[in-house]
Amino acid sequence: MATVSVTQTSDLTLHHVTKRFAGDDHSVPVLDRIDLSVKSGEFVAIVGASGCGKSTLLRLVAGLDDQFDGDIEFSGERVRTTDLARGIVFQDHRLFPWLNVEQNIAVALKNSGRSKEENRRAVAEHIALVGLKGYEKHHPHQLSGGMAQRVAIARGLVNRPKLLLLDEPFGALDALTRSRLQNELRRIWEHERITMILVTHDVDEAVFLADRVVVMQARPGRIGKIVKVDLERPRSRSDAAFVRLRDEILADFSVPQDTAAAA
Amino acid sequence: MANSIARTLNPGRRVPLNGTQGHTASVARSLGWIALPWLVPVACAVLWMLGSHYGWISPQILPSPALVFDTLGGLASSGELWMHIGASLSRIAVGFTGGVVLGLLLGAWLGLSRTAEAYILPSFNAVVQVPVLGWLPFLMIVVGIGEPLKYLLIGHAALVPVTLSTLQGFRRTPPAYLDVARVFRYSRRQTIFNVILPSAVPVIGTGIRLAFTKAWLTLVVVELVASSEGLGYLIVYGRQLFQLDLVLASVLIVGAIGYAADRLLTVLEHKLSPARLA
Amino acid sequence: MATPSLELETGSGAITASGEPGKAGGWRGWVIPVAALFAWWFVSRHVVAGHGMMTSPAQVLHTAIDQARSGALWRALSASLARELTGFTLGASLGLVLGALLGVSPFANRLIGPSFNAFKQVSLFAWIPLISVWFGLGDVAKVVFLSLAALVPVVAHTSDGIRAVSPALLDVARVFHYSELQTVRYVVLPAALPSIFTGIYLALIYSWLATLGAEYLLVAGSGIGNTLVDGSEQFRMDLVVFGVIVIGVTGWALNAFARAIQQRWFRDPSA
Repeated sequence: MATVSVTQTSDLTLHHVTKRFAGDDHSVPVLDRIDLSVKSGEFVAIVGASGCGKSTLLRLVAGLDDQFDGDIEFSGERVRTTDLARGIVFQDHRLFPWLNVEQNIAVALKNSGRSKEENRRAVAEHIALVGLKGYEKHHPHQLSGGMAQRVAIARGLVNRPKLLLLDEPFGALDALTRSRLQNELRRIWEHERITMILVTHDVDEAVFLADRVVVMQARPGRIGKIVKVDLERPRSRSDAAFVRLRDEILADFSVPQDTAAAA
Repeated sequence: MANSIARTLNPGRRVPLNGTQGHTASVARSLGWIALPWLVPVACAVLWMLGSHYGWISPQILPSPALVFDTLGGLASSGELWMHIGASLSRIAVGFTGGVVLGLLLGAWLGLSRTAEAYILPSFNAVVQVPVLGWLPFLMIVVGIGEPLKYLLIGHAALVPVTLSTLQGFRRTPPAYLDVARVFRYSRRQTIFNVILPSAVPVIGTGIRLAFTKAWLTLVVVELVASSEGLGYLIVYGRQLFQLDLVLASVLIVGAIGYAADRLLTVLEHKLSPARLA
Repeated sequence: MATPSLELETGSGAITASGEPGKAGGWRGWVIPVAALFAWWFVSRHVVAGHGMMTSPAQVLHTAIDQARSGALWRALSASLARELTGFTLGASLGLVLGALLGVSPFANRLIGPSFNAFKQVSLFAWIPLISVWFGLGDVAKVVFLSLAALVPVVAHTSDGIRAVSPALLDVARVFHYSELQTVRYVVLPAALPSIFTGIYLALIYSWLATLGAEYLLVAGSGIGNTLVDGSEQFRMDLVVFGVIVIGVTGWALNAFARAIQQRWFRDPSA
């Protein structure tokens, strides 16, 4: 296990975070007084049905959106804009089509202030980390969806951010690729111990990867409950404890009428 | 029924044919397919040759192909042809290049600065409403009928599509890429050169190709109306002397050059925006 | 060969700050025109007064009123427009038929397509002298030329539009056992319609452009282009400026008209 000295100050705190649609003071807010703390090195998953605001929340934490009420603090500082210490991986990989794999990862290093040699080494390291050695000169259109997403993850990590946000990173991939990449992500996290916040609609994925699973409700977007996942990694999806936790979380998804029918 | 429509509308789809296909039959089919585009031009050429040979067509209406090629050869060997082609090409080179460069700069400026766009675009659009040819008489009074007239008109014809396409390309950078630039703290300058510009290249390429078509068209008209050398001039000259062989020969050259340039630009355009930018 | 977007071709897309086509917004757009007008007036009055080439806004206005009142404007404009619309209708109709043929039948497309593409490459105006030999210098020649100008974009866009109908949609027609006629009527035509309309829109614009050129080159007859040429030959700058303004306004009107129809009836997904 790499000893990355992560200080306590890379904690993330959300306090009473509220977001409304612009100019809309009367309808239900997108996010309603979200309170959440994430410790350094933790892996937190956020699940919830569509419309619960989980992706919006991620954008706020990334600093891509500064229209909200409440506070977001990271490393003791208020979050209002983007920062290299907080990386994000999008659902659509968003690689630049006119650059190859190497250059796409290097996009992250433009403002890192490091030497060319250091950057080159970092890019090579991270290509190896996501298992894409040999594909350095390929262009995005020559890659499969899974490979492109791995490049996106490498790009998100190459800056050694203190926090990595992942917005449904595997949502656009087929089941086999998804499960392979989930394993990759687990391996990377165990190796780097970067704080990760993963937004997903796949409860299995959440329980497989996270220390804690935050379950959000929609309309208004709020935290329903937080489930601790104490299982040892790597986890087995058919394990009884795993299944129990998953069902517990899924139960929260159902509409009141359904629970009555399921009971 | 719907089957055959599907077949006709989608030649790529292999809908099974009834009956057996011999090997020679299918070879003949493919050969026929390859030869098909030549049928019409060859038939026309043959008709033309026969027509002038047997006098079905009066030489005043349509001279014989032999005469046309003869004239062409004569012009080429006497050096006259090259002189006229050179005149036309130099005009298009200057006007087109100037128009493209100015168009790129103007389009980039309008695309990057909302302020500039608010002040300038409405006037630009108003000026664009007048077709290039509409300016011809006006400019003839102002600058006479020399080279500047041609450069200005050709430049204008090229400037408009390039400006608009550059503007479009710069304005319509996918927000997804802009997000990435923000995440990695790109400065405005870095964003422009590393994100906005590369993503605008395909649209700009299309605009430049279109600009050439318009510039070439404008060149021909200007040379028809107000010139004493150049391909357009040759056409008018031939017309006035009822030397239709000269007219036809020049028209052929105009078509050939226009076609070659368009092909070249299309290839360039595809180089700049291959499948990778899909 | 992909057909470029309509905005680029017509140069009429007023792209506003929001990045969407529409009317340019705000007072700031007026600053330059007003300033230019004022500068023109000032220069014509105080700097180069009496110079042969220069004319003043007042002079142009005077000429405009003159032309309008004497009926010369309307005669010229209506002559040009009548010719344009005749050529346009002729060319567009023929173009629709030919384009449909090329679109539906790969055989026809292979037979005629390449020759048509080669023909397309020759700058249209290069044909005028030949046309003048075969059809004279009058209205007939002009209409023939205008029909050609209108025909080309209609054929290109109609055949492209029909050929681009997605095989997925055609599969649906097969599943429901549509006859050929039904498929054409309910699937192919509606799907290709936006592209077909784009071709017709372009034909309108191109035939207007061609009208002007034809009037310069086939000088028999009258029209707004002739007004311009006359003004130019007589060194009457006021007449020329007036003509330019009229042409600009007419061009704008044609564009606006076609665009209004497009927004209303045909939402072109490729625009």
